[in-house]
Amino acid sequence: MIRIDNLKKLYHMGTVEVRALDGVTLDIAKGEFLGIMGASGSGKTTLLHMLGLLDEPSSGSILLDNTDVGKLTDYEKTMFRLYKLGYVFQDYALVPDLTVMENVSLPAMLRKDRDEEQIKADSYEILQKIGLCDRRDHLPRELSGGQQQRVSIARAMVNKPDILFADEPCANLDSENSRMVLELFREINEEFRQTIVMVSHEDWHKEYFHRIIRLKDGKVVSDGVNGNGEKAG
Amino acid sequence: MGKKELKVAFLLALRSLQRGSRSSVVLTVLIIAMCFTNMIFLPGLFNGIGQGIITQVVDYEVGNVLVGSKTGEQYVTDLDATLDLINGMPGVDRATPHFSKGATLKYRQRVLGVSVKAIKPGDEKFVSPLYTKMVAGSYLGEDDTGEVIIGQPVAGDATIKAEDEFQASLGGVRVGDSITFEYPNGYTKDYRVKGIYFTGWSSADNNVFVSWSDMEQVEGKPLDYADYITVKAKPGYDEKFIKDELLQYGVPGYVQTTGDLLEKSMGKVLQSFAIINMVSLIVGVIITTVVLFIVITIKTINSRRQIGILKAIGVDKEVIMHNYGFQVIIMALLGIFFGVILTALMGVYLAANPIVTPEWSATLYLTPMDYITNALILFFAAVVAGYVPAYQVSREDIQTAMRA
Repeated sequence: MIRIDNLKKLYHMGTVEVRALDGVTLDIAKGEFLGIMGASGSGKTTLLHMLGLLDEPSSGSILLDNTDVGKLTDYEKTMFRLYKLGYVFQDYALVPDLTVMENVSLPAMLRKDRDEEQIKADSYEILQKIGLCDRRDHLPRELSGGQQQRVSIARAMVNKPDILFADEPCANLDSENSRMVLELFREINEEFRQTIVMVSHEDWHKEYFHRIIRLKDGKVVSDGVNGNGEKAG
Repeated sequence: MGKKELKVAFLLALRSLQRGSRSSVVLTVLIIAMCFTNMIFLPGLFNGIGQGIITQVVDYEVGNVLVGSKTGEQYVTDLDATLDLINGMPGVDRATPHFSKGATLKYRQRVLGVSVKAIKPGDEKFVSPLYTKMVAGSYLGEDDTGEVIIGQPVAGDATIKAEDEFQASLGGVRVGDSITFEYPNGYTKDYRVKGIYFTGWSSADNNVFVSWSDMEQVEGKPLDYADYITVKAKPGYDEKFIKDELLQYGVPGYVQTTGDLLEKSMGKVLQSFAIINMVSLIVGVIITTVVLFIVITIKTINSRRQIGILKAIGVDKEVIMHNYGFQVIIMALLGIFFGVILTALMGVYLAANPIVTPEWSATLYLTPMDYITNALILFFAAVVAGYVPAYQVSREDIQTAMRA
């Protein structure tokens, strides 16, 4: 599903060269729930941004669903994100002026293969799944952090993407809401066989992941369940 | 850019205006409304002054076409035949002669030199609305003799001392009073004031009018000549058409339209008005453009992270750009709408309370075309001012935008 080969990302801060990613090579199978863990500054978010086509690598290649995304034009990347990828942000990143329903429907509204009825039905279905159907006409500011993050997940899911990326989605949530969000990811993964790549620094999250890779200084230092080098079966 | 993308851009724009900072939207709309008013008010006022002057020149000076004496001659001669010829032409409503003579007027202790105009009161009614401007007494009858109507500034005000007057007057003449007229030919006559009028047009208000037959007594012979003839066109007939017709029929006189006369007398003034209008328009457009540019720039800078997020979830940059474009379009349309209402209200107020000077009076004169032209100019300026920052920010890469 995802193939990363010798991925590097270099930043220049004045005269200092920072290697945010230093030769990451990785394969992620379809339906895998992968956790990317590591300390702050280890390169987790940078890797996720590369995979989510939010940033360009300095070198190396990424194949998403057999597409070499490095060769896509700006517009093709946008369409790839719209049709194939879903993204959940740490701070929910909902459009504050849109209702829950409008936020969730937004990516679907841009798809050329969806009519109005289908958009409504898909959005309603996903809102039911996250248990926020009764809050669909509310604005994000009228919801709790946990509810906002569930809306953010619903928005990422509405187009039924092949891959879902989540950048520390529980960072701003208490443990109860965090568990609710992680359970939701697990359900989505099991029900739709969705590939999920999630960045986390919370050790207790690893029980939800099929597989965990740990990064340090931009390099993969371990790859397996609970970080012991063994891949999930 | 498909229909779906435009629909999403419009939805984002509408929701941002509906649920975003209302005070910012109201303030921006208000600024656009004020800019529109600023753009249209001054030219409207100048047009009003111009139109007021034209109307008053037509009403109290020359009608639509003026037939003066030929070059080298003092008067338009063979008057009755000339009037019959002109009045018989298609498009001519009525032609009426004017003959002026200077006179010294004496009333109690006051002495005043004025121009006494002889008119044919019946015909004059077709050409000039003077008869509707009587503030006291009544208008001249066709065969009145020994009676005069005088302008209010000439009549004066008894409560104002001579040294405090804006212009010299007879110091408070009332209807029924007697004024002694001394003409340069030695003819002296006492006239009873039949009426006092006020038109608001200085040149007319500083005259006194007597009937044609009265002036014949002054001249001591039948008055078959005139200083000039004023011609009123029937509705729908062009001044130029009447002029051409008069020339074609060989009317013995120097024929000029109101337009010809205004071009000579007011050409420079109207040119100055046009320059001021243009400057006012340019300033208005620049202010609007700059203000909207600043407003949208601030808005986009404040929304950079959100723009990054939108791009991250697959919203194309064109949709983001049009989102801000639509916001500007909606605000510009609202601003123009309120600007039109504001200007129309000012127009109504000025129609009821015209700006009156001793020389002329004016109201706001705006045609639908003035509204449309200014609205379009402002609209396009607003769209440009909105789209430039929106274009810039929509091109920013996701990482830079999201880090903002």
